[in-house]
Amino acid sequence: MIQAFAFYLFAALVLASGAFTILARNPVHSVLWLILAFFNAAGLMVIVGAEFIAMLLVIVYVGAVAVLFLFVVMMLDIDFAELRSGLVRYFPLGLAIAVVLAAELVLGVGAYRAGALELGTPAAETAPLVGEANIVSIGALLYGRYLFLFESAGIILLVAMIGAIVLTQREARADAGRSQQNISRQVSRRPEEATVNTRPEVGQGVQL
Amino acid sequence: MVATEYLLGYLPILIFLGVALALSALFVFLPIGVSRITGSHRPDTAKLSEYESGFPAFESPRSQFDVRFYLVAILFIIFDLEAAFLFPWAVSLEFTGWPGWITMMVFLAELAIGFAYAWKKGALEWE
Amino acid sequence: MIGIEHYIVVSSILFVLGVLGIFLNRKNVIVILMAIELILLSVNINFVAFSAFLNDLVGQVFAMLVLTVAAGEAAIGLAILVIYYRSRGTIAVDDANRMKG
Repeated sequence: MIQAFAFYLFAALVLASGAFTILARNPVHSVLWLILAFFNAAGLMVIVGAEFIAMLLVIVYVGAVAVLFLFVVMMLDIDFAELRSGLVRYFPLGLAIAVVLAAELVLGVGAYRAGALELGTPAAETAPLVGEANIVSIGALLYGRYLFLFESAGIILLVAMIGAIVLTQREARADAGRSQQNISRQVSRRPEEATVNTRPEVGQGVQL
Repeated sequence: MVATEYLLGYLPILIFLGVALALSALFVFLPIGVSRITGSHRPDTAKLSEYESGFPAFESPRSQFDVRFYLVAILFIIFDLEAAFLFPWAVSLEFTGWPGWITMMVFLAELAIGFAYAWKKGALEWE
Repeated sequence: MIGIEHYIVVSSILFVLGVLGIFLNRKNVIVILMAIELILLSVNINFVAFSAFLNDLVGQVFAMLVLTVAAGEAAIGLAILVIYYRSRGTIAVDDANRMKG
């Protein structure tokens, strides 16, 4: 009963905030709606028992990715009203494609409801461990049976990190040519090192 | 079918969310409604303009952020995910044993390579 | 009682909203990236729902990997956006025609 109530609450909120994400005039509001959508999706996942994925969604998305989006929106000084000018022009096409896609999805769910489709049976070794928490079962599967997938996820993270540094560090690299102030070197400099006494011959000049 | 006993543990959180939502909505909408009812809601241009110690505002309150914040945020995401992957590993070591331990060490080594690269490129320095 | 159909319906609507968002905000790359995040979120909801109702954890493991890829995609996509803005002074996608022959 409460479960059903929570499901409908979270589902309605996730759909509403998804709609406002794509319709909001101000991208800052879009980001905030996106955060709300992720939060409610985490609630949906808690209801079916995927507690770890739900918490991961809150930590990674609400905590990090949404903040990244906010940074970018605040970083770029853009006339957003001008960017929305194509909204009316593209609305019919977008709506047509959305309706076709929705019709296909409804057809798929209807075909499943008709009863001819079997969902299949899971492999026994990937079922959750009996009597253990969700996170323990996921860990046992991810670091046992799927450890190569896990390593490739690590490679993806490494590539993303190096790519982001290479892409955005360009300006800083141009700055690196400018000499930096080294205070200890300035302070420890003595007059004998800085100046030189010479008595050149007439018409000779000074060799530096 | 999904087991639902553990959901009882989340019931207080749901109730807390409901209470927090109700209270915050109350704090926001009650003053607005009261001011409308009692008739003190009379906005004019002077009241609606932003206040900056008596002067007209010099610039838009939305100032641009520095790009260097962005690189820090990206590195934060990467290491955040790395830390998130550590949690299930730490609690399931009794099931995965040495292969699980070695695979996490390889993962950490990959991320350490990225960390060393970021350090060497000066991505962590502010200047 | 909440069944798997409920979750499929929610994730389908969210997916369609994401696709619609790409079309509605064709000029604004930031909102397009957010719409892609919405699409990935709907896919994740689907994975998790099937994983729970089939009593098979592979869906949740895969959702973790999708999350990783989505975070990397957001980081790289926004980095490309930042350097594009730096060189062009705008983020309108229609202006991205410098490689046109």
